[in-house]
Amino acid sequence: MSQDLDTSPPPEPPTNRPLPPGDRLGTFLARPYVKHIAAIWVVCTLIWVPIAYWLAGNMGAGPAASKLMGALKETVFVFTLVSAPLMGFVLAVILYSWLGWGRVSGDEVPDLKNPAIKGNPIAVTIWTIVVSFLAFFLVTWGIVEYTVVNNYAAGSDNPEKLQPLEVHVTGQQWLWSFSYPEQGGISSETLFLPHNRPVVFKATSKDVIHNFWIVPMGVKIDVNPGAVTLAGVTPDTLGSFPIRCAELCGMHHAFMQTQAVVLDKADWNSWLASMGVTS
Amino acid sequence: MTTTATETAAMPVYPKNFLRSLRRQNVFTAFAGGIVGFLVMRVAASLFFRGEFWHGDSNRIITVAFIGWGVGFMAGIGAFNGVFRWFAGKDLDHAEAEYMAGKDLGVKRYFRYTTDHKVVGIQYLVVTMVILAIGGTLAMLIRTQLGISMELFNPNTYNSFVGTHGVAMVVGMILVVTGPIGNFIVPMMVGARDMAFPRLNALSLWLVVAALIPLVMSLFMGGIRDGWTVYQPLAIQAPPGAVGYIFFIVIFSISTAVSSVNLLVTIVRMRARGMTWSRTPIFVYSVAASVGLALPFFPFYMYSQLLALSDRTLSTSFFIPERGGSVWLYEHIFWILGHPEVYVIILPGIGACLEIMVVFLRKPLFSFRTAVVGIAGIVALAGLVWAHHMFMTGWAPLAGYPFMISTEMISIPLSLIVLVMIGTMWRGKVWTRLPMMIIYAVVFNKIIGGLTGIFLSDVPADMHFHGSMFVTAHFHYMLMGTGLFGAMAAIVFWFPKMTGRMFDERLGSIGFWTAFVGFQITFMAMFAAGNLGMPRRVFQSSELFLLSNQISTVGAYMIGVGMLIFLAALISSWKSGVIASSNPWGSQTLEWQTPTPVPLENFPVLPVVTSDPYQYGVPDPYQVERDLETQKEPVA
Ligand code: HEM
Ligand SMILES: [Cu+2]
Ligand SMILES: [Cu+2]
Repeated sequence: MSQDLDTSPPPEPPTNRPLPPGDRLGTFLARPYVKHIAAIWVVCTLIWVPIAYWLAGNMGAGPAASKLMGALKETVFVFTLVSAPLMGFVLAVILYSWLGWGRVSGDEVPDLKNPAIKGNPIAVTIWTIVVSFLAFFLVTWGIVEYTVVNNYAAGSDNPEKLQPLEVHVTGQQWLWSFSYPEQGGISSETLFLPHNRPVVFKATSKDVIHNFWIVPMGVKIDVNPGAVTLAGVTPDTLGSFPIRCAELCGMHHAFMQTQAVVLDKADWNSWLASMGVTS
Repeated sequence: MTTTATETAAMPVYPKNFLRSLRRQNVFTAFAGGIVGFLVMRVAASLFFRGEFWHGDSNRIITVAFIGWGVGFMAGIGAFNGVFRWFAGKDLDHAEAEYMAGKDLGVKRYFRYTTDHKVVGIQYLVVTMVILAIGGTLAMLIRTQLGISMELFNPNTYNSFVGTHGVAMVVGMILVVTGPIGNFIVPMMVGARDMAFPRLNALSLWLVVAALIPLVMSLFMGGIRDGWTVYQPLAIQAPPGAVGYIFFIVIFSISTAVSSVNLLVTIVRMRARGMTWSRTPIFVYSVAASVGLALPFFPFYMYSQLLALSDRTLSTSFFIPERGGSVWLYEHIFWILGHPEVYVIILPGIGACLEIMVVFLRKPLFSFRTAVVGIAGIVALAGLVWAHHMFMTGWAPLAGYPFMISTEMISIPLSLIVLVMIGTMWRGKVWTRLPMMIIYAVVFNKIIGGLTGIFLSDVPADMHFHGSMFVTAHFHYMLMGTGLFGAMAAIVFWFPKMTGRMFDERLGSIGFWTAFVGFQITFMAMFAAGNLGMPRRVFQSSELFLLSNQISTVGAYMIGVGMLIFLAALISSWKSGVIASSNPWGSQTLEWQTPTPVPLENFPVLPVVTSDPYQYGVPDPYQVERDLETQKEPVA
């Protein structure tokens, strides 16, 4: 291995011990195809970075309208980046197999003299460990983030620790209606929400299953006949956001849409007043 | 058995006391029987339930009429003859059995209740292509509607296109490898003369055909408007034509059970002498795993539909909330099948890819055992993940945790299979024939499908993606990009053995790559639409999603054109392709060691297996070098 004759230690007597692992890695890395694949691997990994940005950035067609949605975007971003090296590696190998190790065409069965590699315990072990770690990471992230998201839904992220506002969501073919029991049961077909105050949705359906989805807030819950399901969020952005039905509910499922309008304190109060609520 | 060969070649000698009717029964008598059965039962039911000769459709009348169709069809094809004979104490003798296997019947045997597994394989191939063609046509209609902002169809019609497309494709994909290749090739691959239960084999095929007609009929009777999942209680609003779906699923489940048992017994009990489990080809494992999953899980599909039928016709209320039923109950029963079914679909395709790539890389499988462990791991976990389809249903928010864990665990065995794939490619020159090229496409699609699957299995990410077009794009990457493309590789690869002719690879490649590019365009754009927030199963999309939908539609037309070219290649090669030698790919598995066209009982002499079928390649020079360095004997 060593080129410097003077300083090298005297040659070892021949043994039948395998080369030390470091040397085996060295000879492996010195093979030409390994360098090529490594280079392609880097490229194939990096292409996922813009994809991750694009995916997370465009989730729900715009910026997050709640911390909860922010957590969802973060999850997608991290998951893409974390799996990028593995996907990049597979991509690199299939590309190299396709173009790099040589190819023959023709009708005759060729004699390719390919190396009969049957198993490689080191490769299998490393792969299994890497993949298990990745899976472990994803699971852990999922558990932690799901807990965070559940807390957000319960209103943990609201700055002033306000009491959640209760909204009853009713789905029916093919429209949404919202009623506000604490505000004297007023109801509306557009969802009006106060800014920065947690909301709890109690959802039920009059007929079939619908799914209540406030897209940029990351609220999604089935609306079932014969049951009440819960969801929650603290809207932290003013504006108006699409609500869509995300469960096939019949003929006009596509048009079962409305808006969630987040109002600041003054607007919220004047909306309540316009609905005849005196506080 | 071969002594009478000369006589029979000249003039088929029918066994004397053979049930005469069987000789004339074929697919035409089957249809006649089915139609008669349908009409008779329809009138009977109409009289019985309504006291009218021909009352309009109602659930009960249609149900009874479909039963009439099914019984009439099966009687018409001759499925019950054997049963009656057995009852009468006159079972078949050998000559009769050979006659039933289609001996000397020429082309006619493809239109009959034939027991030869090779005939059944070809029949399955044709039936599957018909199903996929129906599904594909509907896909084009769906995409056309989504690509424009006009109302082309009535929304109900559109919904029924989506539902029927979904069912047809799912069923087509369940059949596409296991049916044709599983029936034709697997018995030969394990060195058997036929399947374990040849008559059950014919039964499973004709049950599919019998079930298919009510499915298609339902399209014209109000259709399956509720997606292929037909969630309750929405489905109960659909007109009686929806019974066609129920009928289809029930019969199809029976057919699946029959053919699963058949394949499993064949694989477990009928492997050639010397074919130990470690010498059994990996494709055989994947088929065994697939049918091994179908056998326990398909009954759930059947129950879900039987209960739904009972709600429709007997006024029960399993799934009707206002009378105490539960919508979650339906979802559970459905998805306990629904998820394993995904593996039922993709496992044979993946196994076929492993089996095929070895031949074109002329290298042994990188690690046979790792592949087996991967397949076994998938089977072990398949039944534990169903509720990931119900993360957003609100049935039990805390159950998100365990189901998220079990689902993400599946990525480990799946990735072991990917390792075997890339390990087999590692350092191999490749023989660039079409099946191998398709495999590259399959692995690519599997990467995309795998990544997006990771999102969907994670509850927080699924809070955004559930019920959106993103899901639709994801499962198309798995089902179409991995499953269907893998099946196309398998069909091209085994085509020479099945038809005796070579597949026209030039035309086939043009078709395949057109479809591949179209596929990426269609479903990448669909990912984008879903990510932006477009729900699935919608009939028109808002302005926001219009562009991605238009791109998607253009891509879909490309897929359509590509698939038609591929189909043209298939048909023209079948009719007039180059005659294939018995082993054109130089493969080592047993099915290639017998002459083409394959003789009636496959092997003149039953083979004896002495090694695994992956003895390709030369000793690895690096390994030899290393062994020399460490003064070991080079491994051969
Ligand atoms: C020509 C290629 C295809 C195109 C353009 C296509 C397109 C579509 C579209 C637009 C939908 C409706 C999505 C929605 O609104 O949710 C759909 C649904 C579906 N497709 Fe395809 N598809 C194709 C091939 C396939 C294949 C090969 C399979 C095989 C398994 C398949 C399985 C399904 C299933 C299961 C559904 C769900 C139906 C439902 O929502 O109930 N498709 N497809
Ligand atoms: Cu809906
Ligand atoms: Cu699933």
